[in-house]
Amino acid sequence: MIRFEDVSFAYPDQGSSIRDLSFELERGEFAAVIGANGAGKSTTVRLADGLLRPSSGRVLIDGEDTRNSQVSARARKVGFLFQNPDRQICKNTVREEILFGLRTVRSEEGESALQARAERILAEFSFTGDEEPFALSRGQRQRVALASIFAAEPEVLILDEPTTGLDYRECCHIMDQIRRMNEERQVTVMMVCHDMEVVLDYASKALVMAGGRLLAAGPVREVFRNRELMEKASVLPPQVISLGLRLGDGYETADTPEAMAEAVLAHRKKEGASDE
Amino acid sequence: MNKLFQYVPGNSLIHRLNPVTKIALTVVICAAAFITDHLLFLVCLLAIDLLIGLIAGVAGRTWSIFRGLVKIAAFLFLLQVLLTRAGNPIFWIITDHGLLTAGKVVLRLIVVCMPLTLVLAVTRISDLTNAMVQVLHVPYPYAFTVSTAIRFIPQFLEEMSGIMEAQTARGVAFDQAKGFKKFSMILPLCAPLLISSVRRTDQMAVAAEARGFHLRTRASAYKQYGFSTGDLLTAVFCILLLAAAILL
Repeated sequence: MIRFEDVSFAYPDQGSSIRDLSFELERGEFAAVIGANGAGKSTTVRLADGLLRPSSGRVLIDGEDTRNSQVSARARKVGFLFQNPDRQICKNTVREEILFGLRTVRSEEGESALQARAERILAEFSFTGDEEPFALSRGQRQRVALASIFAAEPEVLILDEPTTGLDYRECCHIMDQIRRMNEERQVTVMMVCHDMEVVLDYASKALVMAGGRLLAAGPVREVFRNRELMEKASVLPPQVISLGLRLGDGYETADTPEAMAEAVLAHRKKEGASDE
Repeated sequence: MNKLFQYVPGNSLIHRLNPVTKIALTVVICAAAFITDHLLFLVCLLAIDLLIGLIAGVAGRTWSIFRGLVKIAAFLFLLQVLLTRAGNPIFWIITDHGLLTAGKVVLRLIVVCMPLTLVLAVTRISDLTNAMVQVLHVPYPYAFTVSTAIRFIPQFLEEMSGIMEAQTARGVAFDQAKGFKKFSMILPLCAPLLISSVRRTDQMAVAAEARGFHLRTRASAYKQYGFSTGDLLTAVFCILLLAAAILL
């Protein structure tokens, strides 16, 4: 669905930002781009949507080179959720905001169909529709921006640090909705995220970046268990993974607090039996 | 575009001038441009602007400012030429008076705008603020307001560009539209820009209060802004320039 072929990119007046980046995401995959600040994560997702054009190599979305079409023309297929929802929101009510997004990408469906689609999304996101977006909390505004993207039913969803500055409850709320979209509609998700707990909970694949290069791409748990790789990318793995690796002795496979608790209980049981 | 308002570090003669001298030079050039009605004198003022940029070692910046202003001036020139009816007709509805007036208007625009942007390229905003407080005895809150307004320009431009990028990503055809159509698409985006600006201003006010904004006085600045021979020569040049504008 998303394919990077030897992509390099440099900002004007700056050195190379992205070098020889190659990877592929299949339809329905949920990938997280991880790495330290300045690793090139945000540049990578901007390249994926065509907001930036590669200096060399090419980016393909569903087989189409991003250089051959405009970003706005691709909006129906690719949804992009920015870190700051205030840049996306421009209408006075949540309903108008969702309709604005729909009218730009699905105008051919007719006004009544768009209205019905907007009402469905409003119900799905528990909005009445009459709320003033700028009077809502930051987390709620992020949900408005997400609802507006969901309404267009994109095939690819690109998220640039969608949970930054949100409390845990809001973070879970947004991520659960993204996961539902990913699972139910087979939407390909590419997400930049600094919260490794969120990455572990929601993503299935991790793209590890450092210094504008891709260090590794693979299943999230495998990536997090690779100590050398994590150190090289200056990434701290989730606590439960770190704890498991530190304890060793069969605990390494525990990747959730529940699994860790079960492993500890099993271990105790085993020790009790051997004492007897 | 954002870089147009950024400080360019350097140690040129212009950089070393007292910030107040630079402000005075800017004001005198602007005043001279409005006082004079002489086309050739306006051309000389333009040459002075370019020369200042060259001496300050910001030739590239000066050229890009000039290029940007010429684009706006070309539109203004066309309007002025087509709308002025006085004078002798030269071709179609174009008159000699119209051409002369249009020439003066656009030259005046370029001459006035260039030093205002150049002074920001060769002076740190903090130095401008401190010098205004220390030398000109401007109350700190007023000097701070002026410098903050200047500092906000590139931030607003960056914010606007971010908003346009976000809207393009959701299907608004900024990347396909041009000219007036693009301008009409930008207008609805003023709401998010305004809201983010108010939020930013509010946050900045709180941060300033938290750092003892009202405790600051003239004596708070540790840096002293003295006057050198260069400042004296610039002052003489300013007087001569103003006199020439009045007499010509």
